[in-house]
Amino acid sequence: MAPRTLQSATVEGDPGVYEDQNVHMIYEEIASHFSSTRYKPWPIIADFLASLTTGWVGLDSGTGNGKYLPLPADRPGEVWTIGLDRSKNLLDIARRAGSTGIVREVVVGNVLDNPWRPGIFDYAISIATIHHLATHERRCSAVKRLLESVSPNQGRVLIYVWAIEQDELSKRKVVEDQDPTPTIGKDVVVPWVLSTQQTAVTEKCATPRVYNRYYHMFAKGELVGLVNEAARELGLQVEPKAESTTKNIRGVEVVQDGWERSNYYVELKLWQT
Amino acid sequence: MVRLITHNLLACHAKDCNTNNFPLAFKDVQLEIREAEFNPEFLRGFLPKLEWTALVDTAKQLGDTSLPVEQPEMLDDEFLKNLHHVLLEIHVEEGSMTCPNCGHVYPILNGIPNMLLAEHEIG
Ligand SMILES: [Zn+2]
Repeated sequence: MAPRTLQSATVEGDPGVYEDQNVHMIYEEIASHFSSTRYKPWPIIADFLASLTTGWVGLDSGTGNGKYLPLPADRPGEVWTIGLDRSKNLLDIARRAGSTGIVREVVVGNVLDNPWRPGIFDYAISIATIHHLATHERRCSAVKRLLESVSPNQGRVLIYVWAIEQDELSKRKVVEDQDPTPTIGKDVVVPWVLSTQQTAVTEKCATPRVYNRYYHMFAKGELVGLVNEAARELGLQVEPKAESTTKNIRGVEVVQDGWERSNYYVELKLWQT
Repeated sequence: MVRLITHNLLACHAKDCNTNNFPLAFKDVQLEIREAEFNPEFLRGFLPKLEWTALVDTAKQLGDTSLPVEQPEMLDDEFLKNLHHVLLEIHVEEGSMTCPNCGHVYPILNGIPNMLLAEHEIG
């Protein structure tokens, strides 16, 4: 398939209502078809989950169909990842994620809320989720919620978002008039085509239905910038833990950041003295 | 699915509800017991993060009195098996959870708790 040009989006009105209409309602509708196309974990995420300590409990914020909940597959039951998502229909799928018949723990909730004891998780992942939030401020809040959800002492965080920079295998291409080195991402809508066989049998429409999902495609450096801003607002220093004797300093280290298969990622580790 | 592993981590997050907002109290529950694979190493690692009293009290409300009031120092197999059962094998399928502070009710439907708040309830 030839690369398609994506249509720009303009976020209007209340961003929460905009997300309800242009993200949440769509996932609720396309849940089972969407899930059937999402099965392969990305390598960096699989490696991150494989490196977790036995006995750890984590949060998958925006878990979708829960494809990361069964990982690491070779150490079942040694860590527990709890999935949070806005879509009830996706969670019905997520609770059975993996082929083992093991039941997963999932919770309906918003990634902008923290319905947990503060700092109780050992790790948190947010994969392909923050790019669905319609303003910079909301994306920053989502990062703050992740930083608050994990242990201030040793909590680990992995965030993945969609990049303007797409690989050649991708079916998609960003808006044509793009600046070659943008510093701020692009708001776009990405069509999801649901053919008639995939919709409910009661539905009598002959033409395929197209759902336009809202995405904020991140520019290079934008994700790390967002982490810096979120950390600053929480009073965290963004640097590796120093060999210092000063007490009561809290910080977050950027362990790695980069680009993988049309996405930007950042891995973080919290620390305190 | 809400098992006690998750229940022990959840707290009320309604606007201005910051103290005494844990543990949420189960109400009108339907339980299902499903066997899960016993993993003592996971339990040993997870134990320090548990709010022990909340776990014991909640298990009692759900009809399981196998856990001691004080967390034992020696983690023998019998204790770990009881803990495993309480945390990972008792599923609350239907019912609700009420905040002890503000009284907010979080419903549980088909085993999935709903922690969403209305716009005006968000802090
Ligand atoms: Zn409350």
